[in-house]
Amino acid sequence: MTGVSKSYGDFVAVDGLSFSIQPGGIYGLLGPNGAGKTSTLRMMIGIIVPDSGQISIFGEPLNRAHKDRFGYLPEERGLYRKMKVLEHLTFLGQLKGLTGAEATRRAQSWCERFELAAWTGKKVEELSKGMQQKVQFIGAILHDPRLIIMDEPFAGLDPANAVALKDVLLELAKKGKTILLSTHRMDQVERLCQSICLINHGRAVLEGDLNQIKARYGRRHVQIKYEGDARFLDEPSLVQSFNDYGNYVEVQLAPGADPQDLLKLASSSARLSKFELMEPSLEEIFIDVVGKPNA
Amino acid sequence: MRNTWLILKREYLQRVRTRSFLVLTLLLPAIMTGLMALPAKLATMGQKAQHIVIVTSSPQLGEIVRQQLLATPTDDEEDDANGADNNAKQKHEDQYIVDVDANPTEVERAALRDKVSQRSIDGYLWLTDDAIAARKITWYSREMMPFRERSRLSETVSRVLQQQELSNKGMTPAQADQMLQPIKVQPVRIEGGHEAKGSGTGRLLEIVVMVMLLYMAVLFYGISVMRSVLEEKTARIIEVLLSSASSTELMAGKLLGVGAVGLTQILVWAVMAGVVALPSLATQPNLSDLAIPPSVMAAFALFFLLGYLLYSTMYATIGAITTTEQEGQQLQFLIVIPLVLSVFMLMPVIRTPDSAAVVWMSMIPFFAPILMYARIVVQTPPLWQIALSLSLLIATVWGLLIFCARIYRIGVLIYGKRPNLPEILKWLKYAKA
Repeated sequence: MTGVSKSYGDFVAVDGLSFSIQPGGIYGLLGPNGAGKTSTLRMMIGIIVPDSGQISIFGEPLNRAHKDRFGYLPEERGLYRKMKVLEHLTFLGQLKGLTGAEATRRAQSWCERFELAAWTGKKVEELSKGMQQKVQFIGAILHDPRLIIMDEPFAGLDPANAVALKDVLLELAKKGKTILLSTHRMDQVERLCQSICLINHGRAVLEGDLNQIKARYGRRHVQIKYEGDARFLDEPSLVQSFNDYGNYVEVQLAPGADPQDLLKLASSSARLSKFELMEPSLEEIFIDVVGKPNA
Repeated sequence: MRNTWLILKREYLQRVRTRSFLVLTLLLPAIMTGLMALPAKLATMGQKAQHIVIVTSSPQLGEIVRQQLLATPTDDEEDDANGADNNAKQKHEDQYIVDVDANPTEVERAALRDKVSQRSIDGYLWLTDDAIAARKITWYSREMMPFRERSRLSETVSRVLQQQELSNKGMTPAQADQMLQPIKVQPVRIEGGHEAKGSGTGRLLEIVVMVMLLYMAVLFYGISVMRSVLEEKTARIIEVLLSSASSTELMAGKLLGVGAVGLTQILVWAVMAGVVALPSLATQPNLSDLAIPPSVMAAFALFFLLGYLLYSTMYATIGAITTTEQEGQQLQFLIVIPLVLSVFMLMPVIRTPDSAAVVWMSMIPFFAPILMYARIVVQTPPLWQIALSLSLLIATVWGLLIFCARIYRIGVLIYGKRPNLPEILKWLKYAKA
């Protein structure tokens, strides 16, 4: 994706966004609500057309023929309420180019995997929300697409189902499929994704390999467990801010500060039981880069 | 193409398999038959004998009028009678109770007036010699619109008086009758160099049936199309579909699928009607009147399908730019107005199928399905006019399809506020790529 922009009237949803996804593995598209994630995905699958910029998929400019090679799980789930589960899945599979029989066979086996086998003859409206979501997910991967695009796939799933879904995603990634995960849930991305693109107000703020990003943001956090005088926390040349969690404090180091100096200072006034340099969580990076998301 | 077919198939099967489809298909004809038969039934059921008093100076004259009123109607009247009236006419004796009152005084008049008010009689006819001389005979009754009575009364009275006058001038009653026999002009249509049988009522029936069918199909299935677009929007299915198929494919599949459902229904009805009506039709002497030439059938199929496509495309667009059915129904007038206008223009088309206004009106695509078809039935217009009207219609349907597919593509993803016209135009620009 190169320099892609899209605006609705005066509102700029996506503003000169560029990123690239390597084949294979799970890629995270991150951003706060309204950052332009869904618009980006919709442009990638050709539902909406960018005002400017280029989108290439599998090395060629996006065209209609690509539609059968990706699977899309939209944020707003949608199924025909009056259709039976198996019929519905078959229909979706056929739209993606499968034969009716093949689509039915695959739908059946996926339903077994997701413990939906008893429900295949039921109408969609009789299913619980979580089950509908699983049906929707199956619909997106039924045709074994090379690129799977998922908008908030875990929203609304209970923990057990979320784990089942995660397992399938990892399994598909291992098979060499490319999975694009769009979400504002940092913890999921942190656990699943190899690379990310963080967007805000339609622009890419951070992009690249997750480990490298974390390394770049460096070990700027220290977790300290102590007894005694907490004066060392007030040293402005070393401590930019801290968060007292009761059992321990988490300290963000001031720019250029050496953690060793803080250790010396702290040990001079208090008894330390723990002093650990922390890898920043994606959430911290996110807040750091984006600023506190406004409600 | 494959996607269109898949969507068509889904729309079709999902609809046809529902119980409501089955019920509607089987019950609607029964309900319609009932609705059509009911008013006629009611009209005859509520009728009781009319009690009439004829006030006259000469009892003989009153007696003649009385007998004429009770007599079975003449051929002349029978011609105007349609099916429902027929059996009513046959029982004129049950319809009237006629008394002759040879006491033309003001006192009697007041008494009769009271009787009318008290409902012991329905009306009285003031047929005194003075009134006849003044040629001003009056019928007094309670009714607001005593059309039937008045026309039958005045016909009878004037016939009787004319007969009397003629016989006073020396004619025998037979001669008088002969002379009073009305002369009818028999209309014969010339069609394709041949004298057509029948009066052309069958032709009018064809037009009415077509208009009814188109009207029903458009309203019924058009709304169905709109609802289905709205369903995909509100249930948010559209996004998944658009990731697999283009908006044009979606729209075409939907229109054709719903259209196929409509055709199935009409076909079932046609078969049902055929089974029910054929035995009775076979006994009708003017069956040839109803036989529809193949060219008209072809025109019907063509204009019906194109008309359906034109209007249901408009419905789909309305579905795409609105979010709720109520909103959609508010915009429906855009569709209903051209339909109603075409129905209004049917009369001019039937009367003067060649007038310039009619010719050009039938070229306008929104009216063509009804008006051009009507012209073909009434009096086959020159081929170039049919061709022109058809090509304009096809071009419009095609253009509208593309136009709507674009609006559809953007509109279906917009939730919430209904767009105004400038916004819609902007979408068109966006969707061009």
